[in-house]
Amino acid sequence: MIRVENLTFSYPDGPEVLSDINLDFDMRSTAIIGQNGAGKTTFAKLLKGLLKPFIGDIYIGDTNVRDTSAAMLAGKIGLVFQNPNDQIFKSRVLDEVMFGPLNIKLDKQTARKKAIEALKITGLADKLEVNPHDLSLSEKKLLCMASVLAMDTDIFILDEPTIAQDHTGKETIRKIIQSLKERNKLVMTIIHDMDFAAENFERIIVFNGGKAILDGDASFVFGQKDILQQARVEAPAAARLAEELGLAGTFLTEEELIKDLRQCGERAQL
Amino acid sequence: MTKIIADNLKYKYPLSDKLALDNISFKVEKGEFIGIIGANKAGKSTLCQALTGLVPHFYKGAYGGKVFVDGLEVKEHSIAEISLKAGIVFQNPFTQMTGSKMTVYEEIAFGLENLGIAREEMQKQIDHAMELMDIASLKERNPFDLSGGQMQRLAIASIIAMNPEIIVLDEPTSQLDPEGSEEVFLAVQLLSRQGVTVIMAEHKMEKVAKYCDRILLLYNGEIIDFDTPGKIFSRDDLKQYGVVPPIFTSVCRELGVKKSGTDEYPVTLEEARAALGRKVK
Amino acid sequence: MKQISLYADRNSFVHDLDPISKLYYILFSILVPVILPSISVTLICSFLSIILLLLAKVFKKALPVFLLVFIVLITVVIIQGLFRPGNETIFLKIGPAVFYKEGLLYALKVTLRVTDIVGAFLILVLTTKPSDLVESLVRRGLSPRIGYVVISVFQIIPEMTSTMSTIMDAQRARGLETEGNLITRIKAFIPLLGPVVLGSLVNTKERAMALEVRGFNAQGNKTFLNEEKTSVLSKPIQLGLLLIVVMAFVWRLLT
Repeated sequence: MIRVENLTFSYPDGPEVLSDINLDFDMRSTAIIGQNGAGKTTFAKLLKGLLKPFIGDIYIGDTNVRDTSAAMLAGKIGLVFQNPNDQIFKSRVLDEVMFGPLNIKLDKQTARKKAIEALKITGLADKLEVNPHDLSLSEKKLLCMASVLAMDTDIFILDEPTIAQDHTGKETIRKIIQSLKERNKLVMTIIHDMDFAAENFERIIVFNGGKAILDGDASFVFGQKDILQQARVEAPAAARLAEELGLAGTFLTEEELIKDLRQCGERAQL
Repeated sequence: MTKIIADNLKYKYPLSDKLALDNISFKVEKGEFIGIIGANKAGKSTLCQALTGLVPHFYKGAYGGKVFVDGLEVKEHSIAEISLKAGIVFQNPFTQMTGSKMTVYEEIAFGLENLGIAREEMQKQIDHAMELMDIASLKERNPFDLSGGQMQRLAIASIIAMNPEIIVLDEPTSQLDPEGSEEVFLAVQLLSRQGVTVIMAEHKMEKVAKYCDRILLLYNGEIIDFDTPGKIFSRDDLKQYGVVPPIFTSVCRELGVKKSGTDEYPVTLEEARAALGRKVK
Repeated sequence: MKQISLYADRNSFVHDLDPISKLYYILFSILVPVILPSISVTLICSFLSIILLLLAKVFKKALPVFLLVFIVLITVVIIQGLFRPGNETIFLKIGPAVFYKEGLLYALKVTLRVTDIVGAFLILVLTTKPSDLVESLVRRGLSPRIGYVVISVFQIIPEMTSTMSTIMDAQRARGLETEGNLITRIKAFIPLLGPVVLGSLVNTKERAMALEVRGFNAQGNKTFLNEEKTSVLSKPIQLGLLLIVVMAFVWRLLT
């Protein structure tokens, strides 16, 4: 779906933010993790065509990002920014969500239909007429997600979706990601919440100092303790507990850990 | 020594018809590190603001009951007076920078200048605050050039320099990366060990369990429980209040493993290891 | 960190001078040529301003400003030279255009005065940190609130422009075309205004709270972290400048 070749990037007069990145993205849902300043958000902006590569190329499908504009890519790849206050500008929830679909030249009827669908998935269907600025921060984040979902792109990038969400909010986002995967969409995220990343994403890429230093499925990546430490990334809580207990293998979720510990307990009783 | 007393506090924002806080009563002793947890809209921020006088002085609205911070009744005193007793740090480090100071050192001085502290005393307090928050090396930097974690520690230092008995933090780590969050928690823990009373609203349960002495659980503007992390996270009905305990607790609960000699489930990594370790071997 | 201030950090005795003396100098540069409107006095004053800019090592930074001012002044020269009432003595003929001596002399005076005043303001702006200036004024009774607003603008506006570009990215991400002809650009600009204005309102509210809890409205006297910048020269300079203004006034009355 996405091919990144020898990508190097720096801001004018700045140091290199990304250096020589080569990545292929297939349909696996992917989480990009790493410290602030590791180049994650810059990378997302490059994929989206908001920035142009300094050296190297990015292909979305067959299109080279260099030859197109962010607006033209909007129908193919959706990006939800971290801070909802930077993107909301309509005075009605429904209009906010219809803005994207109308921009990619859907007719009003279809745009409305897509918007309402997206608002249903995000649990905001009862708020169509509300002014977005009266929503809470967590609702605003879901609204921003809805306004990208409504564009029905093949690729979704979510920048820190779980910030400001309580347990219920995270559950909603989990379900959205699930349904996107079921509909054969490529879901990517930039995230600090390791527990959420481990539970919901198949592939994990660790960025450190502008390089992709680790790439693989979640259990492989979170098993590489030395490299994680070097990138100053903490493994998910379940993995840390398993390590403390000296269990073999990498555990990503509460459920996996409980299952294993149950078996341990049974063996002990035998 | 009791530092905070809330006695049947009720509060309603202007233009709202629902009580944001209702029947809030609790006491906090000197040097305690208290966590406030609850789902979004449970009233965490409002309570933080009520402890520092922003509710009702900044927001107005309907107010009932009494809150005392270090003996001062909040409703009867101005925000500037209360700020000498109880300081507050907010979520967004960026909006806490005054924007009128060019260096970290001057930024911390802002509050002290307003209070009319003499220069020598001021310098002493700034140095002390910088040392506690581990930002002395950033002294000459422009506040807006700092990382999120550094900026938030600067925001805390700016409050600490004013020497309050109590510091209230309203989700101070929600916009920081894990490293920045840990920096802030460690710095705050140090403060509480120095005898400062700390109240922190927070979503990250693993951290709350690790650092707090007691936890105040809020739901719909009311206090559901106020107890140690072990007691709070061992409650069977937590989910119903929109709160999920640390994974360490859920795993132990699922396996029926309690902390030895207690009726509580482990809440931290260390406690879980101790409790489960016996089982694994 | 971007700054919108023009301050140029140099080592010079002008930089070392306190902001208030520089304000006196501005007053002096405006008043003296008004009181004594002869061209020679105005000429001396403008030279003084330029010499001070040179001594402060900031003349290069002042040039673009002067250039801009002169472009505007050219129209004054043309209009006054051609059409000033009372134009009698022909000075120069270029094709059908006739420039008169009276008009040109008047335009010269205006030009010199403007050079003088702009120079005096530039001395202040280029050699004084905005925060130092405002702090000096607050010490002399300016409301700290007004002082705060003035200084914070210098830091917060650059911050707002960076927010602006994030907002622009967010809209482009949703298919808004921002590149192209003027109409496309104007259309693209409108959706930006909402988040910028609302965002800064939200920030302002949060910042207001943060200032409040740091005693911004505390009663009683304020103190200052930095000692006031004074130089042994401050008082003599201020008095000297005042004295010259008074003398000019007396001179004017007597002659």
